[in-house]
Amino acid sequence: MRTFLDKLYLASGFLSGSCIVLITLIITAQIVGRMFGFIIPSAEDFSGYALAAATFFGLAYTFRQGGHIRVTLVIQNWSRASRYIQELMVLLFGLALVSFMTFYSAHMVWESYIFEEVSSGYVSVPIWMPQVPVALGILVLNIAILDDVIAMLRRRAPSYKAHESELHLEEV
Amino acid sequence: MDMTFISIALAVFMLLMLALGVWVSLALFGVGVLGLFLSGNDQIGLLFATSTWGASTSWSLTALPLFIWMGEILFRTRLSEDLFKGLSPWLSGLPGKLLHVNVLSCGIFAAVSGSSAATAATIGRMTLPELKAQGYSDKMAVGTLAGSGTLGLLIPPSIILIVYGVAAEVSIGRLFIAGALPGLLLVSLFMGYTVFWALLNKDELPQHDKSHVSFASKIKALRLLLPIMGLIGFVLGSIYGGFTTPTEAAALGVVGALFLAGVTGSLNLSSFSESLTGAVKSSCMIGMILAGAHFLTLAMGFLGIPRALAEWIGQMSLSPGLLLIYLTVLFVALGCFLDGISVVVLTVAVVLPMVQQAGIDLLWFGIYIVLVVEMSQITPPVGFNLFVIQSLTGKDILYVARAALPFFLLILLAVVLIYLFPEIVTYLPMSMTQR
Repeated sequence: MRTFLDKLYLASGFLSGSCIVLITLIITAQIVGRMFGFIIPSAEDFSGYALAAATFFGLAYTFRQGGHIRVTLVIQNWSRASRYIQELMVLLFGLALVSFMTFYSAHMVWESYIFEEVSSGYVSVPIWMPQVPVALGILVLNIAILDDVIAMLRRRAPSYKAHESELHLEEV
Repeated sequence: MDMTFISIALAVFMLLMLALGVWVSLALFGVGVLGLFLSGNDQIGLLFATSTWGASTSWSLTALPLFIWMGEILFRTRLSEDLFKGLSPWLSGLPGKLLHVNVLSCGIFAAVSGSSAATAATIGRMTLPELKAQGYSDKMAVGTLAGSGTLGLLIPPSIILIVYGVAAEVSIGRLFIAGALPGLLLVSLFMGYTVFWALLNKDELPQHDKSHVSFASKIKALRLLLPIMGLIGFVLGSIYGGFTTPTEAAALGVVGALFLAGVTGSLNLSSFSESLTGAVKSSCMIGMILAGAHFLTLAMGFLGIPRALAEWIGQMSLSPGLLLIYLTVLFVALGCFLDGISVVVLTVAVVLPMVQQAGIDLLWFGIYIVLVVEMSQITPPVGFNLFVIQSLTGKDILYVARAALPFFLLILLAVVLIYLFPEIVTYLPMSMTQR
């Protein structure tokens, strides 16, 4: 189970990175194409879809790497016991909110599918297709948060903690 | 329910969640859900899905991961070393010498990395030991580093300007161009102050070296600077000239950065995948915050809070100047415990209609807010730059903050200058549209 989950998060992060490469390729192709007089149809739509996929596929990976920023100023000097309660509460809040988000993003995909919505660009794409990565990405984040809730109930430190001290150097 | 009560409840809920360590993006979504719930909306989930889908597929936002990736690639080359070696011979004639290298290499490095903490860390790791070895004043070395590290926020391509542009629906290309002159203004203020300080405090500078740098070695040094200056010039020039959109310029920037890294031999599979995972983390974090902010803005719109605030400001007939003074204090206070991007997105959700009501240009406001966020990066207790330099030098944070104080005041001066002469911001974007 452990290895499966770790692979899932890593695969999700890998897909996110691939999407960033894909955006670069689409847009470079568009520029090159303009120079030689051919166009990449709906390049803007496709890079937008790849962007959404990059953001949402990256969620779980970023979460476990402590990449999502938060304010630690107030809580950093609390005692171990109060930190435990605080961290568990924050995770449970996250679990509730992200479960809500998972449900409704899946619902969005379902509605786009049954109403057969298509994009309005040059190439019309059934809109549920690019929406699937969004729902999947949030679902994997949901699993990652649940994973950490269970870890905390078993008195282990949540995954993101290990990376949080180096956050100041990396972000913003 | 009474709107004043709802507004206060939401503000308290937001502060409480942030203080308790809820991730900023989730806090934004959470407040949005609560706001819609309090307004009696029964389509919360649907609104969440459509707003998030719309916010995360926007074309102009595609520039964000690409510029972040470009920075991550260049970050792993010998760029910072080359900057140091390339700039030193050119600046040896100015009073203050190597201190200017701190300022300029931060300015240039910041332009490509788009991150002020990473800039301060990378440049500082190299210049601080050198400055110390040559006998420069510690305080000034730390101060110039802390101050110029913040340049990364303003000098395009700037991540925070993309965030503002997407959230406030202002053209990112125009924002980039608008940031160029104020960025130069800041660099010259910093360098001017350093010259002035060097002339007054000769005893805190190294006495001995009178070495003259030959013209030939200057030209040789220029070779080190050329690739990176070329890349920045190319990216900005193509946006200004209207040849490419910011997104396209970003894609070209990635290709250029990969090329530079390849030529200098710092590109291999591990550095490639490290740069990509770095880009995934930063752009995913920012993308999620933007989606949260978009949802919150929507919820605020349903509640009518920004409109009410704008009307309230209208009734008080505050002058734009006075409003800006209040906002500056508010932002610096917010910036004391939030990072720059969160300050910007929170502001856009609530303050923007008020700003428009007061007749302030949104393009100008974008540059203004970035300058104010820069100030907050070097104010205790939570200036990100202060933390970085603290961990770099081992000095306590108050010492670093005191050393950075003159630069805080210089940024404040720059804010006053762009208020008195808004043309500093608007001239270039205006001339861009006329062609």
